[in-house]
Amino acid sequence: MSTASLSTEQAPPISVPLRFFAIAPLFLILAALIAMMGDSIADAHTPALLAATHCVTLGFIGMIMFGAMQQILPVVIGSPMPSSRLVAWFSLLPLIFGTLSLSGGFLLSNSALLHLASVLLGLAFLVFIVASLISLARAATRNATATAILLAVLALTAAVVLGIVLAQGYASGLQLDYRKLAAAHISLALGGWVMLLIVGVSYQVVPMFQLTPNYPKWLSAALAPALFAALLLYLASNFFEVLPLGFVAEGLFWLCASCFALVTLNLQFQRRRRVTDATLNFFRLGMISLLCAALCAVAALLAPAQEYFRTLSVVIFILGFALSVIHGMLYKIIPFLVWFHLFRGGVKKGVPNMKEVIPEPWMWRHLWLHITTLLAALMAFFWDAAAWLLIVGLSLQGMLLSFAIFISIMVYRRTYQRLAKV
Amino acid sequence: MNTIAESMSTDHRACDLTFALAEQAALDNNWNDAETAFDTFRQNIQRHFRMEEEVLFPALLDAGGPAGPVQVMHMEHAQMNELIELMATAVANKNTQGYGGLSETLLIVMQQHNLKEEQILYPIADRILAAELETMFSRMQAIQ
Repeated sequence: MSTASLSTEQAPPISVPLRFFAIAPLFLILAALIAMMGDSIADAHTPALLAATHCVTLGFIGMIMFGAMQQILPVVIGSPMPSSRLVAWFSLLPLIFGTLSLSGGFLLSNSALLHLASVLLGLAFLVFIVASLISLARAATRNATATAILLAVLALTAAVVLGIVLAQGYASGLQLDYRKLAAAHISLALGGWVMLLIVGVSYQVVPMFQLTPNYPKWLSAALAPALFAALLLYLASNFFEVLPLGFVAEGLFWLCASCFALVTLNLQFQRRRRVTDATLNFFRLGMISLLCAALCAVAALLAPAQEYFRTLSVVIFILGFALSVIHGMLYKIIPFLVWFHLFRGGVKKGVPNMKEVIPEPWMWRHLWLHITTLLAALMAFFWDAAAWLLIVGLSLQGMLLSFAIFISIMVYRRTYQRLAKV
Repeated sequence: MNTIAESMSTDHRACDLTFALAEQAALDNNWNDAETAFDTFRQNIQRHFRMEEEVLFPALLDAGGPAGPVQVMHMEHAQMNELIELMATAVANKNTQGYGGLSETLLIVMQQHNLKEEQILYPIADRILAAELETMFSRMQAIQ
């Protein structure tokens, strides 16, 4: 047995994460195209914006997280997902077509498409959630990351169930309390799944990428359970309509989130590796955005009549926090994967190093484009013309990321074929 | 030092520090400092590899520790050594671009390797070698 096969014992084949990463940016472009049909960004409940938002959250964020989890679990908890290729196909395909039919269902108010979306997305998430839980159950280590990921997956499960209930309700014209259900769905998906997953993974990758000190032990042990508890408290207050409890829950959630952002920024400030790269700035932008999202959420609590504070908080959370951190991660993970899968073969000569996969200037351009898009999103609340800038920015970002992933795949293929000939 | 996990993790951090110094100096085109820091880094990390390959891993295997992960650790040491030799060539040629790319690559390999050791392998070692920790430490310290 060659030693090369041992490394594959843990890591999935490169095609597994890359197929998710290659498709995800197309959904950013699609989201921009759909958003062009909407009236105003300030009203997130128009069919076009509902469709565009789900293209970003399911088609982009969900898609990237599906791929990244396959890659990250073996490293951070020492346990790969079972049957990675099978899980990849059975989560990727239904996620693609489920997101498309959901968006189509919203846009055309078509109940058949919404029913189809429920089935497809239900399947995609069922496969992904079961595979993640198996991986967690087999984890060699019970650390704070494993806890955070477990809580994230639990929140995701509830978010998916509520999402399906909502889609079925729309499709069949049921009399449901949509406002309440949607609020619970959004907080579980964003505050639960996205937030907890980023927290858990950050414990490992923030120190890893920049050689920062570790997160303080008390913080990493308490943060994810506290966020989860705040979320449960919020859901209870939402369900039973106990307003003061909701205040406390939201306050606690955003306090924990801000604490995470500040500690992360502080750790990065103390980094031993002084080199500043685009990915570090993507991460810092993400943390600053999380603080801004918290401020807007607190403003929404204090001035409930001003509806736009709440929408603003969600927009900053998705575009500023989640998307920035995701881009920062991708620009590290993709070049590493290309190098890793080429280098473990017998021939080492001529394998491109990480900086020879995606040219660094493109990462910086993407960072600036992302900042511009984010600012446009904020201005779009007050100035309609900025919505166009947001739409153009979002589609350019999708194209730029597609380009970066395309050249990564080309570098991999070309080198692989050349090495095979040696 | 009470445990293998603590002692070896501290050693990882010491290697990280010289790694960062060498990288910064190389990117600043300060090749005198880069060469000194890189040499120290190479000596430190290769000593650390030997402590594991000559003392810790064999002891772990003798005590019935997991063979698969130990073999993966061996393989990752070999990968890192190859990168380190390429970096040595970049230092000799004063190749900033080349050093930066290799150093970025080594960082990720090294950090995810450390993570696996610190969170999985060392705790196992502390558990199954609990009776002979003192001997283990003195044998590892004796490695040059």
